[in-house]
Amino acid sequence: MLNYFDLNVHAYPETDASVEELLSVAKRYGYTGIAIINHDEVVQEQKESNAVFYGVEMKANSVSDLKRKIKLHWGKVSLLAVHGGNDKINRAAVENPKVDILAHPCGEKGEGGLNHVLARYAAENGVAIDFNMNSIIHSRRGERARLLGKMREILKLVRKYNAPMILTTHARSIYDLRAPQEMIALAALFGMNKEEATGALCDIPSGVLEKRWKKERDVEIR
Amino acid sequence: MNMKYILSLMLHLPPSLRDRRRYLRFEVICAREIDKRELLKEIWNSLYALYGDVGASESKVWLIGYHKSEDTNNGVGILRCAHDKVDEVRASLACIHSVNDAPVGIRVIKISGTIKGASRLRRQ
Repeated sequence: MLNYFDLNVHAYPETDASVEELLSVAKRYGYTGIAIINHDEVVQEQKESNAVFYGVEMKANSVSDLKRKIKLHWGKVSLLAVHGGNDKINRAAVENPKVDILAHPCGEKGEGGLNHVLARYAAENGVAIDFNMNSIIHSRRGERARLLGKMREILKLVRKYNAPMILTTHARSIYDLRAPQEMIALAALFGMNKEEATGALCDIPSGVLEKRWKKERDVEIR
Repeated sequence: MNMKYILSLMLHLPPSLRDRRRYLRFEVICAREIDKRELLKEIWNSLYALYGDVGASESKVWLIGYHKSEDTNNGVGILRCAHDKVDEVRASLACIHSVNDAPVGIRVIKISGTIKGASRLRRQ
């Protein structure tokens, strides 16, 4: 029995979906746990459950802003994610060992990307690179073609440097959630094979939650 | 040769030439009630958008049935496709985010080689 995790779900108050609703649908789909990471705020009323993890997705408009936000949230939440897209922000995120996840490095519309330097930093610091399935589901035609192309590029770099990668739904409502097998089929669209996709849904997310990646790589967190 | 045998040869393809099919039983989570026609249109749109005309024709998709559940707006349906295109069809089902502006989420519950197998519920 595999334990599937979805580490990027947005819940109330940022969206209309409540944590209970999201969790019940996710459980029915076969997930073991979900992580609620709203943009720039931590959910106040936390439900006591070992299937829900709380974190924060930091949206920064400059590198110094990001550093300030990391300092503010560090040690208080179990997951620190960075809202990627901008090249400078991407770089600042993968260089910082305190960060757990770099969410959608190609942006929500395919505007940014990774290069070999950033992929190497991500591997060294144990920062998980996140592939956003929601953007594939919600875009069409040229935009989706561009996104899939970007993801293919990122996947190539991640494979080469062996950086951790995760597949997430970025769900903003219960209708945005997708079952693990559907996620694997979607990941095949940009060339990820079944074993990699299963790892990106089970093994790597649980490693991110336990900070196993950081320990294995002897990352020094100052 | 009797007439019946000749007729059966004309009507049915021999087993070795028949299409190999898979039947996908899927579940739709939906904010409002949707009917079969709307859903089918969206499935084809998604399939065309993702794989184009050639890919859509190769997958041989056919909606066998769709029923709304009694107490909620959610529904369950059965879809037929070519046996080697299951993953492609699954991806295009996953890419459906709304039907006539109503948000939906689709998940495949069971895959089977026969309609009977796909409609049979798992033993509790």
